[in-house]
Amino acid sequence: MTVLVLAIAMFLPLGLYTTLTNLEGMNLRQDEWSAVTVFFKSGTSEAEDRSVAEELATRMQTENVVVISPAEGMLDFRDASGFGESLDMLEENPLPWVMQVSPRSGTTGEVEQGVRELMAYLQSLDSVELTQFDYKWLQRLGRMVELGRSAITALALLFGLAVIVVVANTIRLDVASHAEEIEILALVGAGNAFVRQPFLYTGLWYGLMGSLLAIGLLAVTMLYLGRPLGLLLEAYGTSFKLQGLGLYKSLWVLAGGGFLGWLGAGIAVQRYLRQLKIGGRLGRH
Amino acid sequence: MITFERVSKHYPGGSRALADVSFTIEPGSLVFLTGHSGAGKSTLLRLVMMLERASRGQVIVDGRNLSQCPDRLAPAVRRNTGMIFQDHKLLRDKTVSDNVALPLMIAGLKYADIRKRVRAALDKVGLLHKEKAWPLTLSGGEQQRVGVARAIVSMPPLLLADEPTGNLDPNLSRELFALFEQISEQGATVLIASHDLDLIRQTRKRVLVLSGGRLADDIPAGEAS
Repeated sequence: MTVLVLAIAMFLPLGLYTTLTNLEGMNLRQDEWSAVTVFFKSGTSEAEDRSVAEELATRMQTENVVVISPAEGMLDFRDASGFGESLDMLEENPLPWVMQVSPRSGTTGEVEQGVRELMAYLQSLDSVELTQFDYKWLQRLGRMVELGRSAITALALLFGLAVIVVVANTIRLDVASHAEEIEILALVGAGNAFVRQPFLYTGLWYGLMGSLLAIGLLAVTMLYLGRPLGLLLEAYGTSFKLQGLGLYKSLWVLAGGGFLGWLGAGIAVQRYLRQLKIGGRLGRH
Repeated sequence: MITFERVSKHYPGGSRALADVSFTIEPGSLVFLTGHSGAGKSTLLRLVMMLERASRGQVIVDGRNLSQCPDRLAPAVRRNTGMIFQDHKLLRDKTVSDNVALPLMIAGLKYADIRKRVRAALDKVGLLHKEKAWPLTLSGGEQQRVGVARAIVSMPPLLLADEPTGNLDPNLSRELFALFEQISEQGATVLIASHDLDLIRQTRKRVLVLSGGRLADDIPAGEAS
């Protein structure tokens, strides 16, 4: 019962943390809306454009650079717009050289950083007329992730406290039911540390079992949500794999849960021992 | 071994348990403490065990002034003192040998040493064959002897007993007193609170008589009262 309560208390911040990690780790690269479109000034030569493209690939470590000549642009436009032959009436091609640059892939934050650097660099070039990027959504996502991080910290603190209180309460009852035994131990010369020890182990055990169950709950939830989530993202043209906690972080969660349980037990026993004042009130006849 | 200097003890609410009690007990002696119930016998023992603190005066045990001793040293003081209780105070969910082993476990001895000394202590009280028994399956006299074994297992220099024969028949009481004499002869100081006056007279040991919290009489050894 206690273990289940502990597991649920630990599951909530863990679940949010996992959601956020997955949101951050989502691969934004292949999505066309994350490409920066660069319009060159008219009259820029092909050689110039190519050298900029090369420069970008080496200096900014961009993922992918596509150069579109005015002729290619015209072809695309003809297909897409449906103006067809009326475009032939134009005497010369009014389209500029265009370049599509995908920033290096990474987490949302890294992509945002990469795009910012990329835009700054491009705007400093003389040959570039205009850069276009739908930056707002990326910023919003970034801010939301930041907000989520703060929420996780708050939640983790709150539920960490809840874990301590739940364990402390359970151990308090445990201690009370062993009052006679504790009295005898004190009478034959046991110090507080000796009396405390078994209860600390019990608290540690509660914490460990609670976090183990929380990790299990998380795994089951992810298994359950994985398929519908995959289908949803597929509809958006993205494929991605849900990331679990991983062994390393799971071990940290176990250690943390164990520590909180140990702490809660320690607090409960300490309060009892102080109240008991073995020096004074023990079993007066 | 034990020195009381003008010791008084009041409990909150004004009840007075001890008033101006002074005496000295030499190391290696066996002394009885007697008086009606409520005369202050238990309180006196509790002061020696540091389960209570004197309201006034000095309690000096084994050269240590307990009135000035901080609370955190109380466990160490108790480990230096074997205490036998009228109601045995055994742990019901532990076997006889685990109960006897308790003071040694608290002291942090090695398992092999503990086993050896527990068996020696149980042998001394004649309960070696009950090593694995549970306390509740033993008779009152046997439980009391388990309590004695626990009190002497760490060979403390001081042994206190609070009405150890309270629940025993005369034969068992005599055996127990003989055991205390034996322990005292081996060098330990033994202080026994009891109102079993017949037995006390037979042993012809020193007797401290408490009455209403005051030391009413101090009968030296060898004098029949």
